[in-house]
Amino acid sequence: MRNDIILGIHERMKEDKNVYFLTGDLGYGVLDDMKNEFPDRFINVGIAEQNMMGIATGLALTGKKVFVYSIIPFATMRCFEQIRNDVCYHDVDVTILGAGSGLSYGILSSTHFALEDIAILRSLPNMTIFSPSDRYEAVEGLKYFQNFKHPLYFRIGKKDEPEVYDENTKFNLREGMKLRDGKDGVILSTGAITSEVVKAADILKEKYKICLSLYNISIIKPIKENHIFDKCLGKKLIFTVEEHGVVGGLGSVVVEALSEVKSTDRIIRLGTKDFFIKTVGTQNFLRKKLGLDCNGIVKKIRKYY
Amino acid sequence: MKTDLPDIAFSIREMIISSLVPNESHHIGCSLSIVEILAHLYFREMKVNPKTPSDADRDIFILSKGHAALALYATLCKRGFFGRDLLSTYDTDGGQMPEHANTSVPGVELSTGSLGHGLSVGVGFSVSFTNDKRDNKVFVLMSDGEFNEGSNWEAIMFAGHHKLSNLIVIVDVNNFQGFGSTEEVIDLNPLDTKLKNFNWETHNIDGNNFSEIKSVFLKIKNSKNLMPKIIFAKTIKGKGISFFENKLESHYKSLSLEVKKELLENYEK
Repeated sequence: MRNDIILGIHERMKEDKNVYFLTGDLGYGVLDDMKNEFPDRFINVGIAEQNMMGIATGLALTGKKVFVYSIIPFATMRCFEQIRNDVCYHDVDVTILGAGSGLSYGILSSTHFALEDIAILRSLPNMTIFSPSDRYEAVEGLKYFQNFKHPLYFRIGKKDEPEVYDENTKFNLREGMKLRDGKDGVILSTGAITSEVVKAADILKEKYKICLSLYNISIIKPIKENHIFDKCLGKKLIFTVEEHGVVGGLGSVVVEALSEVKSTDRIIRLGTKDFFIKTVGTQNFLRKKLGLDCNGIVKKIRKYY
Repeated sequence: MKTDLPDIAFSIREMIISSLVPNESHHIGCSLSIVEILAHLYFREMKVNPKTPSDADRDIFILSKGHAALALYATLCKRGFFGRDLLSTYDTDGGQMPEHANTSVPGVELSTGSLGHGLSVGVGFSVSFTNDKRDNKVFVLMSDGEFNEGSNWEAIMFAGHHKLSNLIVIVDVNNFQGFGSTEEVIDLNPLDTKLKNFNWETHNIDGNNFSEIKSVFLKIKNSKNLMPKIIFAKTIKGKGISFFENKLESHYKSLSLEVKKELLENYEK
């Protein structure tokens, strides 16, 4: 996912001399070509994310389009006040590319996990949040947002994520993509974990005769409540799945949308819970341990039927 | 209209006192200390045109110590960016002039209020102008206490390393910060040496003295150094209101209507 996005932006920088790319000292093996080809517009600001976000704002105020790149907690939490007061308050053309969504960084452990980013960025006015599930959706997002001139957050995995779509997919990013159809309830998922959710939905249908609709939501903010109602109202059981905390992410988006309308639907949020993950392991191992792999998702959902 | 700087400064101070909302407005001392610097910048130094506030060739001024917004607003008003009608809405319900600098006011380039942001944004402007080979200059006015914020040092390191010579920082050294003097909270003396070590060209002046201000900006203009510049401007917090001068409380205390009226009598000529 990440490498495809970088390539896309690299192409953009060739065509558009107004595009800048800032990194917080990351990019070894990934950004080398960009660094060599655009010595003026590719800037390694060093390990200084607050300054990076301030510089991005200053550049954008002179009319540049700025991409800012780091690992998610550094790109969003270290400099949150700058995102709030500088980027969002001034509503500038800065795109935050956050790498390592959810548990992507696995064995690097907690400081590198991204389980709160959607929650905190959702709280900021003028912020748009894009959470693609695979490389095809990520590249589609670059196209979709290419003329977008406001604060934007790309929540990227890493690389070699299992594919959900293919090169022929006709995307509908605005409303979300329907991946499965079923009458027994609905699942909404976002991000790279969607590939596990697809497997889970198929297991639930084939093995347990529980047929659920599955939607992949990639634009988490702004979200039109109608799009949530269309998918969820009256479905009785609504599950949300994300590699993010159950506080403040996609699950909360759905809960918030449905809370003001008359509904007897139950919303069950799957995600990480309220404790720091001390288990050590790769992303796949952690997902298994936390019940966020396809079998864990199946087990959790079955309890409601 | 009188155009010599002491008259302009006098007028700006009158506008500051006149705009204060009795028992409501704070940060008065913070605004009063920087009047001479702002007067010089907006009436002698910077390429700005109130008729074309978005001119791409204009110099940029960022008030990083955003709590001194009133001084900036008064200066912009005096310079012709807007009229006294607007200035009179300062700190009032439904007005568009909050107590911290805001881009809702014509001529204000950046909304500030949290210390440690302005310099990084200024660096962003500076990089853009440098890469595009533009002649625009970037001026950032910081407070001395503001140097406690680590984010500034990120910007300082970056600017020094990248030799951003179109970036000029002025520090309002009035020796007071939030809850004590700058020396008792965190003593950064000698601050100029520290900046020299980060590859900045440093200057020290009396920030309320027009001839020293004029002289330092001339020196900077003629400087061949490929370095960002910083001026440590020693000022008197609260200058212009005798019972506020050099007092920490001038950061916080508001004025009653009676005192405001009394002070304004000194400005009737």
